[in-house]
Amino acid sequence: MTVIQEARARDTVGIFTDMADATATEVAPGDGAEAALAFLTEMSPDLRGAAILDSAGTVLAAAGEGERWAEDAATLFGVADGAGPEPVEQVHVATEQGEVFALRHAGLAAVAVTDRFALASLMFFDMRATLRELAKEG
Amino acid sequence: MAPKPHRVLLERMSGYADEAAAYMRRRRVARRPFARLYYPNGRSSDQADDSTAGAELFVAAGRLIELAGKRPKE
Repeated sequence: MTVIQEARARDTVGIFTDMADATATEVAPGDGAEAALAFLTEMSPDLRGAAILDSAGTVLAAAGEGERWAEDAATLFGVADGAGPEPVEQVHVATEQGEVFALRHAGLAAVAVTDRFALASLMFFDMRATLRELAKEG
Repeated sequence: MAPKPHRVLLERMSGYADEAAAYMRRRRVARRPFARLYYPNGRSSDQADDSTAGAELFVAAGRLIELAGKRPKE
């Protein structure tokens, strides 16, 4: 078992099952998730890359390396959950290099990276709509 | 002599555009990096970048930004 697999076995499941919206949604990786990611990409002109994950932290669709998205998303949610008394629903980190948005909704999670100065309200709205539609299909 | 009506309208529209452009310039200059968490009850919390959680959030975000890479120019 690799270091990443150990970390995921130890942390990831707990992180994603602690979702603020605790109802887990079973969505199989595949066309539905890929279509949802394509929809999100089309809706958000500032988007550089994104991933959609299920309640266990498994990547359903990602722009690029799925395993790294899973690992880095788990880290982000882990740190965010550890910063407060309860699991977070949304995370927004703005840096000089770009902005990161993470959202839990309907038992799923989405993480997106955008250019600087992306409008947070619109980004979260699009991410939430994407997850809601995907959960309905699941 | 009173200005022609369409000139008044154009000047007003031009004024709005200038205001909007100035707002965007100020926003770009004034906006500093931040990490903000939102909770299900509607509460939000800013994490200072010199706090442990804030610093870790910036590191985690940096990894994701690196992973996403640059957006291809269209």
